[in-house]
Amino acid sequence: MTEVVGKVFVFLLVVLVTFLWVGHAITRLTGGEKKATGSVEISPEGGEAIFWGKGRCFTCHSLGERGSAVRCPNLGVWGEKFPLPIGLRAVERAKERSEETGMEYTATDYLVESLANPSAYIVEGYKDEMAVVYAPPISLTLDEIKAVVSYLQSQGGDVDIEALNNPTEVSKKFYDRIKAASAAGGGDPGNGEMVFFESAGCNECHAIRGEGGRIGPDLSAIAKKGIKYISESILQPAASFTPGYETYTVIKKDGKEMYDEEGRKVSGVKVKETDEYVEIALDPESIVRIQKSEIKELVIDKNKSIMPEELIEALTVKEYQDLLAFLLLQKGEKD
Amino acid sequence: MMVDDRKTPCRYRPSMYIVLAFVLLACAVAIPSTAHALEVNEYRQFMDLDSRKVVWFLAQMHLFFGAFVLGVPIFAVIIEIVGWKSGDKKFDRLAYEFTSLLSVAYATTAAFGGLLAFALFTLYPTFMGYMAGLFKNVFFIYAIMFFGETFCLYLYYYGWEWLKGGGTFNRRIQWVLKGAGTVGLVFTVLFFLGGIGPEMRTDTRVFMTVLYFLPISAGLILIKDRKSVHIFIGILLNVFGTAIMQLANSWAGFMMSPAGVNERGDMVGTSWQVFENILATPIAIHRMLGNLAFGGFVAGAYAAIKFIGATTPEEKAHYDWMGYIANFVAIIGLIPLPFAGYYLGREVYSTSAVMGNNMMGGDFSWTFIIQAMLVGSLFLISNYYLWCGMTRIPGAERYYGYIKYILAAIVISFAIWLTPHNLPLTGREVSQMGGSQYHPTLKFLGLMPAKNAVVNLIILSTFFSFLLYRRGNKSERVPITQQGSLPRIVISIAGLVAVGIVGQYAIYLLGLDPKVLDLPVDRAHYFRTVGYLLLAECVMAVIAVGLTLRDRGILAQALYLGFTAFSVVVFLGVYGFVVMEKASPFLRNIAVSQFLQLISCIVLVTTIDIFLFRGAREIGSLRWGRMTVRSQYALLLLTIVITMNMGLMGFIRSGLRSDWHIFGIMRDTSMWSYTPSNYTMTQMVSLCVLLFLTGVAFMFWLSGIFSHKKEKEKEMEKAEYMEELYLKERERT
Repeated sequence: MTEVVGKVFVFLLVVLVTFLWVGHAITRLTGGEKKATGSVEISPEGGEAIFWGKGRCFTCHSLGERGSAVRCPNLGVWGEKFPLPIGLRAVERAKERSEETGMEYTATDYLVESLANPSAYIVEGYKDEMAVVYAPPISLTLDEIKAVVSYLQSQGGDVDIEALNNPTEVSKKFYDRIKAASAAGGGDPGNGEMVFFESAGCNECHAIRGEGGRIGPDLSAIAKKGIKYISESILQPAASFTPGYETYTVIKKDGKEMYDEEGRKVSGVKVKETDEYVEIALDPESIVRIQKSEIKELVIDKNKSIMPEELIEALTVKEYQDLLAFLLLQKGEKD
Repeated sequence: MMVDDRKTPCRYRPSMYIVLAFVLLACAVAIPSTAHALEVNEYRQFMDLDSRKVVWFLAQMHLFFGAFVLGVPIFAVIIEIVGWKSGDKKFDRLAYEFTSLLSVAYATTAAFGGLLAFALFTLYPTFMGYMAGLFKNVFFIYAIMFFGETFCLYLYYYGWEWLKGGGTFNRRIQWVLKGAGTVGLVFTVLFFLGGIGPEMRTDTRVFMTVLYFLPISAGLILIKDRKSVHIFIGILLNVFGTAIMQLANSWAGFMMSPAGVNERGDMVGTSWQVFENILATPIAIHRMLGNLAFGGFVAGAYAAIKFIGATTPEEKAHYDWMGYIANFVAIIGLIPLPFAGYYLGREVYSTSAVMGNNMMGGDFSWTFIIQAMLVGSLFLISNYYLWCGMTRIPGAERYYGYIKYILAAIVISFAIWLTPHNLPLTGREVSQMGGSQYHPTLKFLGLMPAKNAVVNLIILSTFFSFLLYRRGNKSERVPITQQGSLPRIVISIAGLVAVGIVGQYAIYLLGLDPKVLDLPVDRAHYFRTVGYLLLAECVMAVIAVGLTLRDRGILAQALYLGFTAFSVVVFLGVYGFVVMEKASPFLRNIAVSQFLQLISCIVLVTTIDIFLFRGAREIGSLRWGRMTVRSQYALLLLTIVITMNMGLMGFIRSGLRSDWHIFGIMRDTSMWSYTPSNYTMTQMVSLCVLLFLTGVAFMFWLSGIFSHKKEKEKEMEKAEYMEELYLKERERT
């Protein structure tokens, strides 16, 4: 039996050595072992460490002959398709973006935009599939993004740290976007917009820049109230009310609470009031008109909001962070 | 029952598990639970070691032993039921032998679990403080489950002889138990339909119905004698084991897809929401099937080593049979495993597209190529073992001719499965390919439709090998029309199940609104095409049942299997590319359609096969033990490969979080916060595999010593008894 066990052990070792060889060969092919990136300075060297490490840019982009990824554009000189490195390419792209948007883009603006809002410009032949680098799991900070931009600038272009630290109006907008996302725990404002207008349906009651319902407060400038207020309003809607959007409960002449035909308590936001009647919105689709002659009084219910209490249960953590990031961008400014 | 340590050295110490459960609880309670998720994390080191690797190693070892301990009881109980129903004692002995392997591994699992808990609480105090606070309720339930599992294991193993024999219970007791079982069944149905229990995902509801409530209820109904009580204890053992696994999976799932908390990590939902996060159940399903396959392969390795070292034909025959059964069980777990993996992957994408892209196209794309190599090898080697097994079946030579075609199908499928969508190329290679970064042909083989098609073909080929194996020594068959009403009932039910599985999805697809998949209305015809194809599959199932009941079973099998192969591999394989181009979100529904057709085909064809060859004349009896040594190395290789694969998959699943302890909630700010390379992965996994398999070999050896000692004791007792009889007889005369 000892001989058998010995043979089996050797067999096991042979299989494991083969496995190790495969792992070693693949690691060598894909650029070697990656290490953790500590805090980096805004410089091409710092950006290089992020590009080939924490930022995982290398999983989709190669740089000339360096790297093996082909999912997204090569950022170095690469055959006929990419005759210019990204530093020089950015100058050309900035001109295109200026024409398209009517805003004055610099090469730095283009690079910042390509990281902050990659959907804005898609290179022909590639998909709109770049990850949001300031959202989990990559979650680069603004300084780390600046470092990556400086690294990209160094690929054939002029490294301009000054332009990164004193952004133009174009870049400043993107910086705001990244800061909002970071404050919201790394949410993606783009996805947050979809959560607001589609999946969570916040727009059924709230409007942003004229789009959406009127039952709830307008949120076009909600960012000015700060992250704590916004966060609390989502998690505990009844914690505080915007004046004019309190929840009213209707008390009938007989002193009892009023119920509608479907047996629901008439309690909601007062959306209209005349000398003869008031209109109470129970939810976006149910507005009840009640003659004043039937009403003894309207009582403000401080413990109840018509905003769904279970909203947070319907959202994943990521959706919540995305929504928060989107709301933090709503500063009441025009696009 | 007391354990006499003098008689059972180094064996069975379930009490140790209980002690460790208390340790875990004490750690959980001792650490303040108010830790804030975004506080600066504290990390510690033990003897300057890399804390992440320490935890990685301990977690992997715990999971290896845990998978074995959870996988083996599943098939031990099934084999015991087979033995009980058929009255064949050799199944009962085999089930006992499998259980005896389990006993030592149980204590080792506990030891590694305890070490892992210590390591986590001491090396990652902030993280574990937060988790303990959030999961405090789950931790307590987890510890209580240990009691259940330990007591059941005690009773199951030590009560084997005690609960054997004896007559049936009196009718009153039987009716009480049957009544309780019926109430349990009603509860199960209500739970399944959502009438009982908290609001939960459908997969969780199905998981709990199938693995908890249904077996317990059915087990109660089955009880009629002492042996069936023993089987019921085995069922409870599995229920407790599965519950422990599900609870622990909720932690792993939470780390990837946190729920019930806000962005700061404060709990805003319920404990149930935290427990039943998005990935908890998909991971549990995948792990459950993985454990079954893993347990089977490890038990198969035990049989293989015993076979190679066996000196008598009887021993060889026994261990050959044991290896066959273990491999058979493993394949049952292996066949649905790729689909469970697909489902888990889909849910990962749903949780986070970044995490999903990182999995298939980012850091782990090459790791998945290694994984594809390993899984493909598992199927190939399993088939090889079955083909080797045909040499011990008189008459099987009639089917040798098919083997080369099956081999070709598997090898080609394997090659396609391995083909990546794109390859690292130099600038010159790109220009040689006309400036494209994708190979003109290979780019198609690297896409999901091609991969889905070949995975199904590999599974169908393996199933076909199994069918050939089954009919190896069968000749003249007993017509089904002459077998009484049982085949008519069972085959019709199997047909209904097949139609039900496929039909319900056909109806769903025919009524599917394209808006649900964010597609324009004019894309609905893509759904309809697949819906009608599934309806055709239902019609084929009905025809197959009809033909079988008219004694045309072989034709029925060929028609149904052929249609399924055409539909799943050829039609949907090609149609998948069209869908990918025109209605990409629908691609996942195509994968579901393929899976459902395949499963219904396996269910119905196997049922037909059972009755087709029931009572058939045998050309000769199976020559158990007449297997090549090569085939036993195939069994060993299967064990090594699945163990490596489990380690690799654990690396991917855990690594997807990148530098987050809890995705989006708690960042990993330690010095080890980066994704290790594939080389590091292979080093760690190889170390774990080496130590695990060495440890298992050691345990098997211990188990062997005990059995040997027990046999000797029995012989001694017998000798003493004989001597006593002799002396008494002498005194009398």
